[in-house]
Amino acid sequence: MTKLQAKNIVKHYDHNGNSVLALDGITMNVEEGDFVCIVGPSGCGKSTFLNIVAGLEKPDSGEILLNGKPISATGPDRTMVFQEGALFPWLKVIDNVEFGLKMAGIPKEERREISQRYLDMMQLTKFTDSYTYQLSTGMKQRVAIARALAMDPEILLMDEPFAALDSQTRDLLLVELQLIWERTKKTIIFVTHNISESVILGNRVMIFKNRPSKIKKEVIIDYKRPRLAEDTNLQKYYHEILEELKSEVMTGIRGESK
Amino acid sequence: MQVGQTLVNETANGSLLFGIATSMWRLVLGLAVAIVGGLVLGIFMAKIETANQTIGSLILGLQSIPSVAWVPLALLWFGPTDAGVIFVTVAGALFAVTINTHSGIKNIPPTYIAAGRNMGASGMKLVTNIIIPAAFPYLISGFKQGWAYAWRGVIAAEIIFSIAGLGFLLNLGKHDNNIAQVTGILIVIMMIGILVDGFVFKKIEKKVMSRWGLA
Repeated sequence: MTKLQAKNIVKHYDHNGNSVLALDGITMNVEEGDFVCIVGPSGCGKSTFLNIVAGLEKPDSGEILLNGKPISATGPDRTMVFQEGALFPWLKVIDNVEFGLKMAGIPKEERREISQRYLDMMQLTKFTDSYTYQLSTGMKQRVAIARALAMDPEILLMDEPFAALDSQTRDLLLVELQLIWERTKKTIIFVTHNISESVILGNRVMIFKNRPSKIKKEVIIDYKRPRLAEDTNLQKYYHEILEELKSEVMTGIRGESK
Repeated sequence: MQVGQTLVNETANGSLLFGIATSMWRLVLGLAVAIVGGLVLGIFMAKIETANQTIGSLILGLQSIPSVAWVPLALLWFGPTDAGVIFVTVAGALFAVTINTHSGIKNIPPTYIAAGRNMGASGMKLVTNIIIPAAFPYLISGFKQGWAYAWRGVIAAEIIFSIAGLGFLLNLGKHDNNIAQVTGILIVIMMIGILVDGFVFKKIEKKVMSRWGLA
């Protein structure tokens, strides 16, 4: 079943009074339970696309359908894991995880039970009553993932959530995320500029062209899981994507120096 | 010696405590009104850009008016009453709270708002669950400034036209040529300032700072 459809999404943004075309007709279908990675050069509009899917930004034209119905605003059926710094420092870890459930009006005991379950899943049980400043960056992103999962969203949107992590922590979370995906059977769209990340995580990798962005190519990663960062069999996918991206990065640089 | 003696006497006959109580309730009420009003105005200005453009500079101007300059207007509108004193208190504190609220909200990291909206917070829920707590470090400095202006406002208004409160006792001391009383009341006013700063605001600030990992 098709979970999410993006139909010809076009988006301009304002840059010093000039209108810049960021997304030039993005069309994509995401099946239920799929794990789709979007990879592209920085500034290519991939995060903008994710924000549009989340309903945090509106496209100039085109539409997003969730379960066949057009979305109008942002909502907890499409929860977002942000790059960093999206946890609320005024709340304890558990209250952060419960936040969306509280907004949805779910009673306290039920909230506690659900959030405790996801904290356990993310191995954060010990940090239930901590404040966020007491956590490492990796721990914070685990909390952010627990918080997004606690809403039991139709689709999980991840915007470079591991970009600020050191490589050991990232490798660990890359494996954990695959296990969680297999356990929860969530549909995931994961945006990254890191090719290895996309190859390790994605069933499919969508390569975004430089601005104005379109989907340049789709690469299917048909390989057993859980995939590890050091697995050399993933190299061929990596190089396939790298070849596509190299020329994009070069045009990007040339475009900027003009 | 004489100052101490005067304070003891005034404590004994109850006039000092009555004075403190009068000034304090006027302060608390005035500050409460200023805080609530300042929050509402500040949030309104932050949310609606045209409101900010139209009344923003007016509020900056109003903020620069010394509390005591509101006294004539208070007298014309309310006469020498409690309401007059409270008006001066509110007028002195309101705009400091407004300005700090506004800049606090403007400085909220956009990700907090995006995350909050994404998880279903909108309208008043967004205000109470995200905007106010996220801006709190700024809000608290607004409250602190507001309190300082309010306290000056209460005393100034009382000196000029009230028949009760610490400001009135100061004025009475001047009238009776009683330096000991004037000095004593000044010390009391200072002590209250130190206590409110140290016990109310320092405590809240410390708690907020440690929670945000800033201490």
